Amino acid sequence: MKNTKTSIEVTNLKRSFKSVKKESGWKGTLKLLTNPEYITHEALKGINFKIETGEFVGLIGANGAGKTTLLKILSGLIPPTSGEAVVLGYEPFDRKLEFRKQISLVMGQKAQLWWDLPALEAFDLLRAIYQIPRDVYQKRVDELTSLLDVTKLLNTQIRRLSLGERMKMEVIGAILHLPKIIYLDEPTIGLDVLAAHKLRNFLKEHNQKEGATIILTSHNMDDISQLCKRILLIKEGELIYDGEAEKLGQRNECQLKVQLRDDVSTEILQNALQGFDSRIEKSEEAESTYLITIPRARIADTFQLLFQKYQISDVAIHEPSLERIIQQIYQQ
Amino acid sequence: MKTLPMQWMLEWRLAAIRNGMKDALAYRWDFLIDFFTQAFVPVGMQLILWHAIFSQNGTQLFAGMRHTDLLAYTWTSILFSQVRGGNYDFTLIEMIRTGSLSQSLLKPVGPVEFIFWRGFGEKILTAAFCLIVGIIATYFADRSLVNLFLAMMMAILGNIIHYLFGAILAAVAFHWENAFAILLMKNMVVSLLSGEAVPLTVFPVKYAWIWESTPFYLYVFGPTQMALGKWSMQTWAHHMTIGMVWCMAFAVLLQVVWKKSIRQYQGIGG
Repeated sequence: MKNTKTSIEVTNLKRSFKSVKKESGWKGTLKLLTNPEYITHEALKGINFKIETGEFVGLIGANGAGKTTLLKILSGLIPPTSGEAVVLGYEPFDRKLEFRKQISLVMGQKAQLWWDLPALEAFDLLRAIYQIPRDVYQKRVDELTSLLDVTKLLNTQIRRLSLGERMKMEVIGAILHLPKIIYLDEPTIGLDVLAAHKLRNFLKEHNQKEGATIILTSHNMDDISQLCKRILLIKEGELIYDGEAEKLGQRNECQLKVQLRDDVSTEILQNALQGFDSRIEKSEEAESTYLITIPRARIADTFQLLFQKYQISDVAIHEPSLERIIQQIYQQ
Repeated sequence: MKTLPMQWMLEWRLAAIRNGMKDALAYRWDFLIDFFTQAFVPVGMQLILWHAIFSQNGTQLFAGMRHTDLLAYTWTSILFSQVRGGNYDFTLIEMIRTGSLSQSLLKPVGPVEFIFWRGFGEKILTAAFCLIVGIIATYFADRSLVNLFLAMMMAILGNIIHYLFGAILAAVAFHWENAFAILLMKNMVVSLLSGEAVPLTVFPVKYAWIWESTPFYLYVFGPTQMALGKWSMQTWAHHMTIGMVWCMAFAVLLQVVWKKSIRQYQGIGG
């Protein structure tokens, strides 16, 4: 039975930060001492969305778009300037004990495990903090470490682990108490392809098995496209897209890969497709092969024109990568 | 079976202490060198000072104490000055400044208390070590073991007060971002008014109110007086009561200050 209860509801959420403006040079240093000038930066500008229980949502945006600020508000680390966030029925910044027992935040750049101690020691402390019965804890540690291939490393100091191994331990530590909400802030940052793949599979399985609601921020579009059905796209503090990842791709452009029998210059091809709002690049994969980016609505027209004017030996339609789509949206 | 609330309250604190002890002992040589350096460098300076005072002027008494009394004070005070120390208020400031406090804030336990118990783990090791040294010294110096234990209790209370006070000051970091200077200043004042640098009897009688009106004398001076048998049981109980009052007052103030200041936290560096 699918549980459709809302886990997270955000209404007109705003957050601004005030900071001192620091000018360079001695003049700036003196001014900072005597008459500091403050600047206000609006990190979130009135965001609205709802997330249902068990959803795996990708939160994406460029650096400084407001993703981490949003996660900090949703986890209760900082309060919003105005607006409302309700997570599991709680106002996060009230930081109620029951709320904190049900959430977890994994920050790729901030460790919660202790550098000089083995992961097992940290897990034992987390067991006591989250009141996990010993037998359940032991079973869970065995299961999670085995799934992530780190069982043999449990007694190794955290600082002696590789980045990937450390991140796996961080994730285990974050979900040992089976939180209902998991915020993942760039969990695969710096990981190699294999480690990132393993972690992604693990998160996918965990989401399906435990039904936890997960919000993932990442600059690695493989994470987003493989894990998240839904995307929240933030640009300069505003939510500019909230919907299925697939539909985000469909609403824009696609790429045609065309191989011609004759060698034609890119300029000639560009002239032929004038008025089609297209971009043409020569592919390096094969001779006389071009990559033509066109609006999705012009596919048929483009094919018709190309077949009329040129002898074509091969064609293919490529869906643009999520990364490319987001890049386009940001450039608009 | 779910843990009972009382059992949980005890269990996580004990787990944090255990964790802190293991963390402190991760590098045992570093722990020991740190301990001995912090203990013996100030002692060396005091011993040189006492020697200078008593040998050069032919003085018999200094601040009402003979040379042997001052030596006894200096050696005994090491046991307690090591217990009062601890830089976990500096750790708090660093965590606020760098945003690493976030992980503690997310846990379903008080962040200030959590950091205290982890740091307390290290201090318990230090206290146990000092106690063993103290027991051996007590045997040879023919002093009271009961007094030594009571003195150590006072030093541990002093450690708690010291952390609470430091944690209150650390909240400045929420507003100023960096507040190391405040804690450094606090440590200098504490060093003077706790009896760590010199016995508080050195203070002129008319200025004694200065150290008497702070809780800092409970860190080193009080425990040393008790261990040396200069205080009666009643005096100890009286000062312990005062210490408890300070402790409660600081605990309340800490709650108020942190509740207000935490709104300024930005969790930088995410």
